[in-house]
Amino acid sequence: MESSLRTNVGGVNLETPVIVASGVWPMDPRLWPAGSMEGVGAVCSKGMTFEPREGNRGFRIMETYAGILNSIGLQNYGVEHFIAKELPLLDNSCRPVIVNIAFETLEDLRRILERLKVCRSMVGVVEMNVSCPNVSRGGLSWGVHTESLGNAVSMARQVWEGPLWVKLSPQVPSMGEFARLSQECGAQAVVVGNTWLGMAIDNDLERPFFENVFAGLSGPAIFPLALRAVWEAAGAVNIPVIGCGGIARPGDALSMILAGASAVEVGTALFIDSGLPASICRELEANLTKKGLASVRELVGRARNDQGENGEKSR
Amino acid sequence: MDRSVAPMKGPPADRRGSLFFSRSLGDHCVHMGVELEGLTPKAIPGQFFLIRERGVLDPLLGRPLALVASKGNVLEFLFRISGRGTARLASLPPGAALELRGPCGNGFPEPVGDELVLVAGTLGIAPFIGISSFSSEKVRITAVLGVPGKGWEKFVEWCLERFPGIRINSDDGSIGRHGDPVEDTLSFVGQGHEVWGCGPEAMLRGLGRVHEKGCEKLLVSLEKRMACGTGGCLGCSIRTGSGMKRVCVDGPVFEWREVFGGAHGK
Ligand SMILES: Cc1cc2nc3c(=O)[nH]c(=O)nc-3n(C[C@H](O)[C@H](O)[C@H](O)COP(=O)(O)OP(=O)(O)OC[C@H]3O[C@@H](n4cnc5c(N)ncnc54)[C@H](O)[C@@H]3O)c2cc1C
Ligand SMILES: Cc1cc2nc3c(=O)[nH]c(=O)nc-3n(C[C@H](O)[C@H](O)[C@H](O)COP(=O)(O)O)c2cc1C
Ligand code: FES
Repeated sequence: MESSLRTNVGGVNLETPVIVASGVWPMDPRLWPAGSMEGVGAVCSKGMTFEPREGNRGFRIMETYAGILNSIGLQNYGVEHFIAKELPLLDNSCRPVIVNIAFETLEDLRRILERLKVCRSMVGVVEMNVSCPNVSRGGLSWGVHTESLGNAVSMARQVWEGPLWVKLSPQVPSMGEFARLSQECGAQAVVVGNTWLGMAIDNDLERPFFENVFAGLSGPAIFPLALRAVWEAAGAVNIPVIGCGGIARPGDALSMILAGASAVEVGTALFIDSGLPASICRELEANLTKKGLASVRELVGRARNDQGENGEKSR
Repeated sequence: MDRSVAPMKGPPADRRGSLFFSRSLGDHCVHMGVELEGLTPKAIPGQFFLIRERGVLDPLLGRPLALVASKGNVLEFLFRISGRGTARLASLPPGAALELRGPCGNGFPEPVGDELVLVAGTLGIAPFIGISSFSSEKVRITAVLGVPGKGWEKFVEWCLERFPGIRINSDDGSIGRHGDPVEDTLSFVGQGHEVWGCGPEAMLRGLGRVHEKGCEKLLVSLEKRMACGTGGCLGCSIRTGSGMKRVCVDGPVFEWREVFGGAHGK
């Protein structure tokens, strides 16, 4: 890749600003579709919990209009298996591994991070998935309440000395406020954001399609929502924002970056186009050439250069 | 599809193709040929591709379809029109731009014995079409098909051309024997028969009764909703006797006992 795409985001050097989002590619790189790593700057691992989890029963995937609902339920083999079996494989991909973690209690969070210390050199970044349920709040997700988000990020910051990103839930009243809180508690970047809660009804059976009733919506359908969230977060923090949600075409990634994202994560679109990271890189390079710019860092936030505080045109 | 050519090793790839032919087999089914750009992958019966219209974001996901045959650069599929995606595929004109991810999955292994029974519920016949050209000549194949009945004549005719001795069963009795393919299979199988099944889950579950007839080896090809087709999204996970498995990479072909056998199969 061109050096113009090289960047440093939230404590990690990336060859390109395009990251494979959590939960889309398998942990074993030998299963990644041929050619799919071209243009990829880093890879997020599947959400990992302290104990193994079998995940949800019933349907797990449903196609919606230009999107999908998923209810996987964090199926994973737990932290010990991750460290022994999966992390070494991911490390072979020669790219920083963004370790996505989920936790039901603060104690789980602490134990996962303590365990990850033993393999610190293979962990590029810890990405906290705060959309997972907080047991002490009756299963409401960590990321939708300032107090629980603050507690979790502060605890992680105390235990984990390496790069720490917080992957925010879009189900928040103010993306700017939750991004700022993450920054104050020690996050080095915020990922904006995870899937959007949705649901589906089976009209024939007259009941919810998913056993868990609600499911996460992703894919092109959510892109405008995610872009707005990125805009808000980028206006509220000094740490990098990583744009994630619905990116399906190279121009979508460019829009995220122009809105203020320093890098992007691509998820659902990889189900249909494993060559998307490479196409995004080509688009970014072409855009830099067209504008006579030397680095992708110069593209970050250009759409907001002449915007006022509240996002309105000031000219 | 030829056993002499080793199946493609490694992960699937995204491939560009275009609709080469599309023939309707009655109201419900389509026989489709897709011409690939570039090298044609080697694949074995039971492997599948995720197929979608190139450049289209709605419908989004590729539809998993079993490979029926491959001739030169053209891959053949057989599908039932059942929803939005397959209806779109069925309405495309020749030359339409397609995208295929594959070959995915494990496919069927070489039969152990020389008496093979293939049991298909309607479109479950798709992965079996290539078996005869693919397995050793000494393997004797008996195919059993189940269809709803009226309206499926053209499809049945098409199957008969490929499996001249195929045993036809229909729910309404209008074509072939009145009854279901599992009962039909149970009426003749015994020790020494290896049985492979593909079709609706209830049929596959019921097929387990061939064990009582002395058949040791029973393989089934499963259908699950899929997004990635390459083992990443865990959308197609199932609980099995040997832990969680992904239908798209660990299957779709499984030992019946592994998926329906123990407490996990209930
Ligand atoms: C490994 C495998 C091989 C298959 N081979 C064939 C074949 O050769 N011929 C054939 O006719 N059918 C086959 N199927 C089933 C076929 O994939 C579905 O009928 C098809 O995806 C339905 O799409 P739709 O657009 O008609 O329905 P929609 O209702 O629009 O589908 C919505 C979503 O659900 C998924 N879906 C719905 N039904 C099924 C199902 N039964 N299995 C898997 N996903 C489903 C779709 O892929 C799509 O993502 C196979 C399935 C699998 C898993
Ligand atoms: C099948 C599936 C599984 C996912 N698993 C995780 C996960 O384990 N942890 C996590 O933080 N996000 C997970 N996500 C969310 C994605 O990483 C991403 O944030 C979200 O899908 C929005 O981006 P997209 O529209 O590009 O997919 C998952 C998404 C999908 C579709
Ligand atoms: S379809 Fe994604 S894991 Fe099987």
